[in-house]
Amino acid sequence: MLNINGAKNILKILSLLLIFSQLSCVQYKKRENIIVASAGKIESIDPAQANTLRTLQILSAVGDTLYKINYEGNLIPILAKDLPKISKDGLLIDIPLRENISFHDGSIFNAKAMEFSLNRFMKIGTLNYLLNEKIQDIQVKDEFIITLKLKKPSSSIRSLLTSVNLTPVSPNSYSNYKDKFNNKGFIGTGPYFLESFTSSQQIIKPFINYWGEKPKNKGINFINYNNSSTLFGAIKTKEVDVLISNSIDDMQRVTLNNMVNKDKLNSGEGDPIEIGYITFKSNTFPLENKAIRKALSYTIDRELISQQVSFGTREPLRSIVPPQLHKNNEISPWAKYEPELARNLLKKEGYCATDILTIPLTFRSNVPADKLLALTWKDQIKRDLSDCIKITLNSVESTTVYKQLSEGSFEAVILDWTGAYPDPEAYLTPLLSCNEINNNTCLKGESVFSGSFWGNHQVQELLEKSEELEGESRLNTLKEVEKLAAKGSSYLPVWLVKPKAWTLKNISRPEFSRDGLIILKNLQRD
Amino acid sequence: MLWIISSLVFILLRIAPGDPVDAILGNRANEFARESLRIKLGLDKPLINQYLEYLNDLIHGNLGISLNTQEPVKVIISKALPASIELAFFAILIASIIGYLIGFLGAVKPEGRIDFIGRVFGIGTYALPPFWAAMLIQIIFAVLLGWLPIGGRLPPGMSPPPFVTGFLVLDSILNKNIEMFFSSFKHLILPSVTLGILLSGIFSRSLRLNLEEILKKDYIEAAKSRGINDYRIFIKHALPNTLLPILTITGLTISSLIGGALLIEITFSWPGIALGLQEAINQRDYPVVQGIVIIISSLVVIISVGIDIAIAYIDPRVSY
Repeated sequence: MLNINGAKNILKILSLLLIFSQLSCVQYKKRENIIVASAGKIESIDPAQANTLRTLQILSAVGDTLYKINYEGNLIPILAKDLPKISKDGLLIDIPLRENISFHDGSIFNAKAMEFSLNRFMKIGTLNYLLNEKIQDIQVKDEFIITLKLKKPSSSIRSLLTSVNLTPVSPNSYSNYKDKFNNKGFIGTGPYFLESFTSSQQIIKPFINYWGEKPKNKGINFINYNNSSTLFGAIKTKEVDVLISNSIDDMQRVTLNNMVNKDKLNSGEGDPIEIGYITFKSNTFPLENKAIRKALSYTIDRELISQQVSFGTREPLRSIVPPQLHKNNEISPWAKYEPELARNLLKKEGYCATDILTIPLTFRSNVPADKLLALTWKDQIKRDLSDCIKITLNSVESTTVYKQLSEGSFEAVILDWTGAYPDPEAYLTPLLSCNEINNNTCLKGESVFSGSFWGNHQVQELLEKSEELEGESRLNTLKEVEKLAAKGSSYLPVWLVKPKAWTLKNISRPEFSRDGLIILKNLQRD
Repeated sequence: MLWIISSLVFILLRIAPGDPVDAILGNRANEFARESLRIKLGLDKPLINQYLEYLNDLIHGNLGISLNTQEPVKVIISKALPASIELAFFAILIASIIGYLIGFLGAVKPEGRIDFIGRVFGIGTYALPPFWAAMLIQIIFAVLLGWLPIGGRLPPGMSPPPFVTGFLVLDSILNKNIEMFFSSFKHLILPSVTLGILLSGIFSRSLRLNLEEILKKDYIEAAKSRGINDYRIFIKHALPNTLLPILTITGLTISSLIGGALLIEITFSWPGIALGLQEAINQRDYPVVQGIVIIISSLVVIISVGIDIAIAYIDPRVSY
């Protein structure tokens, strides 16, 4: 009797489990939208406030930019009708705009709308300093021509016009949001419109009146999970269709790549846009000594670190600009791994024989790859140069690191950087630019914010000169800047991170734009 | 008490390194942009003025506006708190059923097989690191077996039901949405079972130890000598007397869970108050951190007072 009752209970439990599992199967089968998962919550969809990859990813689908940069590094007009026309003195830029384009609310896109959007960004945008430093005034020249009046000639402004943050918004719908953020809504001109927004899920649907190529899918749901394991599990269990690589641990990246090799997933990757590097504070003992910084630049075995930390998914890097941004003329001005050269340099400076150089290396405690890099480099130096250098480790939470960077709190700190637009200048200026230099020490400028405090008059002159140049000569000038930075050795580039996405087999392979964002309208369900 | 907590939170946040302006603008914004934002957010005012404004707002029930999203803190909390309470409720339910049952069975036959297993279970679950247990359960039941969803409160693509209570299981019943009821319930199983199992160890140990102590009392011996059967002794004489410490432990656990189980919420991407607090701390969103801490503290105080009142009601020896 007892056995029969027991069997009945087991059957009941199994039936319940079956019902649950069946319900879940039904949900996944009937979904129409493509589910894209990534880490990080979105609190605001306002382009004036957007600064996370996830927000920019959505904005790139619901909004259009004036220009895009193609894989050859050239500007391609999108909302603009033609390339910008620059006056002889370089201070006026005329941008002709496309006609017959409407916003998602039905209102017309024209020069006034673009002026409204740019002015709004310059007024309230969290990154407004990028424009405010360059643009003096914005004028409507004609219904479909906008004129930017610059403070000084700037060739980098053209790349800046490709920024997703500058996507136009409808003046009609944003009349109440001229000087405040519209966090939960977005009315732009993009191939999708925003159907619903919550911080944990955003749904976009194709905009039927879109002027350009229509999306190949019926809509996209963006969802977020908080950690790498959950994201990894979500694609493995087919709970999501697309997984974006930000915040996926390297070990899980490798497993996902193995699944691609076994034909269980599709994957696509874009040009690398994120660089990982170590900043040396160059204005205090002992790293004020250029020879010591130079010696340290010989000590890092990037290949080993790439393998140990990321199983080779992060490419070793010996420049501070992603190579593809130099077009077909890549350079790697930083020194290769040469421990003997490092030892010789340090001996000349009085180390190795009796004195050991101690370098306190700080890493961000909430970035797993930083910790692994710090540990690996420490061990590698212990193996190769234990008689000369000793690395001590400190972990600090990232918000605190950013705050204390410009206060000079860190002798050596591991950081990463992603340029705001795909241009060498977007990497060089934020790391090297300096407005006030005294004896190779930067007193005021970007170099202070980067924590290196390294200033060089020649670098500054070349950076300023590059703003007045175009094409090949501009790129060559920026290369010179990078070579000088390598000589200064206040930064030590380590690796390069490619944006990557994985999709289920019934979803098309993800394609990336030049700025490292997935082209969502090309995603397609079989 | 609340004044002390709110003042402490205010002071500690300002002392802590990091700056909300940096968190919003990044550390590369120029001085003009930083100063403009500082003025806009009211961070340019002297600290004492900020503090007085904060206290004044608090007295009037105004928790302020998020520095990051410009959303009222009340709204942010009202979205996150029900998720944590829902999780806490089911976790406590599971912990009580498993924990007290194991504790009771162990006390019935001390040093028996069940007691031994129960003690190992109690110590084991208490010693398990929550994040490890959560990840293990997630990998087994969600990834490998695929029985239950991996995280979140609802499946991707499913919009929550119209807000009534904020508890999705309840709201889906109130909205007569059976599919959503099953979905939200399924999403609740893994995090609540994980949390429940982790807590059940404390419950089983406390019941077991209290029962053991009570069973040694004179009145139990007297009851036995009067020939009252063991079942009756347990149910009528021993169990009611363990109620006070059990009630205290359960109440304190509820209080701590109202504040969210951070590691469980992170692992299962459960959008509760602890996750909200963690994100607000990372972004140095002072009003949100302050608001969440105040609300959690208030709830802890209310629950503690409630427990004290309940104890006074149950135990005539206790008076206030």
